[in-house]
Amino acid sequence: MTAGLSVDVEILKLARQVGCRPQALDYLEQLDPQDIRDLREQVTGVLFDADRQMLQRVAAATKLLPSKLTATIGESMFSPLLCARVTGLLDPHRAVDIAARLSTSFLADVAPYLDPRRASRVIAELPAEQVAEIAEELVRREQYITMGDVVGHLSKAATLAALAAIDDEALLRTAYVVESKGSLGSLVALIPAKRLTAIIRTASEADLWPEALDVIGHVSEHQRGELADIAAAQDDELLEGLVRVALDDGLWPVLLPVTRAMSPASRERFVGLPSVQTEKVLAAIVDAAAQEALWADLLVFLPLLPVAARRLVAVIAADLKAEYAAIIDAAHEEELWPALIAFAAELDETTQRRIAELIAASDQAILAGLLAAVEAEELEREALTVFARLSATKQARFAKRIVALASIAALTALAMAAEAAGLDTLHDAFKPGPGRRKSATKASS
Amino acid sequence: MSVERTLEAELGGQAPDGLAALSEQERRAFASVLHDAKARQSQELESAIEQSLDVVPRLLRGTIRRMLFG
Repeated sequence: MTAGLSVDVEILKLARQVGCRPQALDYLEQLDPQDIRDLREQVTGVLFDADRQMLQRVAAATKLLPSKLTATIGESMFSPLLCARVTGLLDPHRAVDIAARLSTSFLADVAPYLDPRRASRVIAELPAEQVAEIAEELVRREQYITMGDVVGHLSKAATLAALAAIDDEALLRTAYVVESKGSLGSLVALIPAKRLTAIIRTASEADLWPEALDVIGHVSEHQRGELADIAAAQDDELLEGLVRVALDDGLWPVLLPVTRAMSPASRERFVGLPSVQTEKVLAAIVDAAAQEALWADLLVFLPLLPVAARRLVAVIAADLKAEYAAIIDAAHEEELWPALIAFAAELDETTQRRIAELIAASDQAILAGLLAAVEAEELEREALTVFARLSATKQARFAKRIVALASIAALTALAMAAEAAGLDTLHDAFKPGPGRRKSATKASS
Repeated sequence: MSVERTLEAELGGQAPDGLAALSEQERRAFASVLHDAKARQSQELESAIEQSLDVVPRLLRGTIRRMLFG
């Protein structure tokens, strides 16, 4: 999954803290977004600390004044930035009481300058109705980042009220820039399935797939599956659009794991789309897997492709020599041997040899996993197609290791498959005979 | 003062490691932006407090002034 941090958003937030135009900080574009976020957090701390004593005195002085007068002074004499600085220093009940007397417009002015972590208790106590009004105003101003900053700090009632007050497009734009991505799961959990469907449709209609995919990438595995299934249940036109955007915007590193989260039926439908099976898209998918080490996701995806498309992937994958070891590890760790074996059986001879050599040189646990999968799924023929590419010496060494690990039943199945394929060396090696040790480890038991 | 020292002084501590990727000129520029932001904030705060005192009821004005300025 992508980190979800954007350089542009981080620069915008930092510019707001130091009171300059984002363009004045263009030189920060070369930095990692996390570095800019770290810098912003440091800057926020420094700015709070710079006048902390005086701000604390102001906060203390407000206790002597009626809330109404404090609100009047705040709105007419203090800038939104200073009000935001003082907010975190006020007693939360008092702050909420003062906020109740401020105009929605002024509160929307203050909101971008709040440091939600410092004012978290105040934000949490704001009444739901007032939060809804501020949210509406912030949407009108397209202040999605500001809204994204407070997600996770609002009470459940206030979050529900805000959700009801804003439209699906604003919600997607807000969710995309949420400061604490970890809170997206709780946010999505508050949205009924019917609205989630509408949001997915909005993502398509308003060209907001990058935003939607980012959200899908940051929720729980269960929610990801739910959202992915909702998406996969839409009409072909919407899905073709998603495939196109993923290709144009380089979003396959995000989309490929989403396909894995789909139910088998949804995944089958999605992978069956004609646009998914084009050479360009398949190349982008393999690239994405290589970039982000999404081998397990690719292995789940591959068996669902028709033969012609799988052959295209096989040709593209021939260039991935450096990655084969990682693909084998993923197949082992995620128990996806059948997909890898079936796919490897369709590769060219050289690639098959490379994969066979890597597997043959793997440790016992990997070989045992392979054996168990081959036996359970009856993939002896496909597996031997690949291992027959080994040189005679390597075949003999590999067979010896397999014989030491496999059960008699597994060896018999392998021997039969080898005989049927005319692979004499392997047949002789696997054939159970009088000399075969009966105490061979049963890899599949 | 070296740019590292200037930036450290403005940030109140060591800058995030990633900032090493910026040129000396860029780091100096950021230190200056932060310096100006602090100065502006202090000035704004002072001016807002002065203006506010004018609308505070006369009875409380002295007490509040003492709370604010000692």
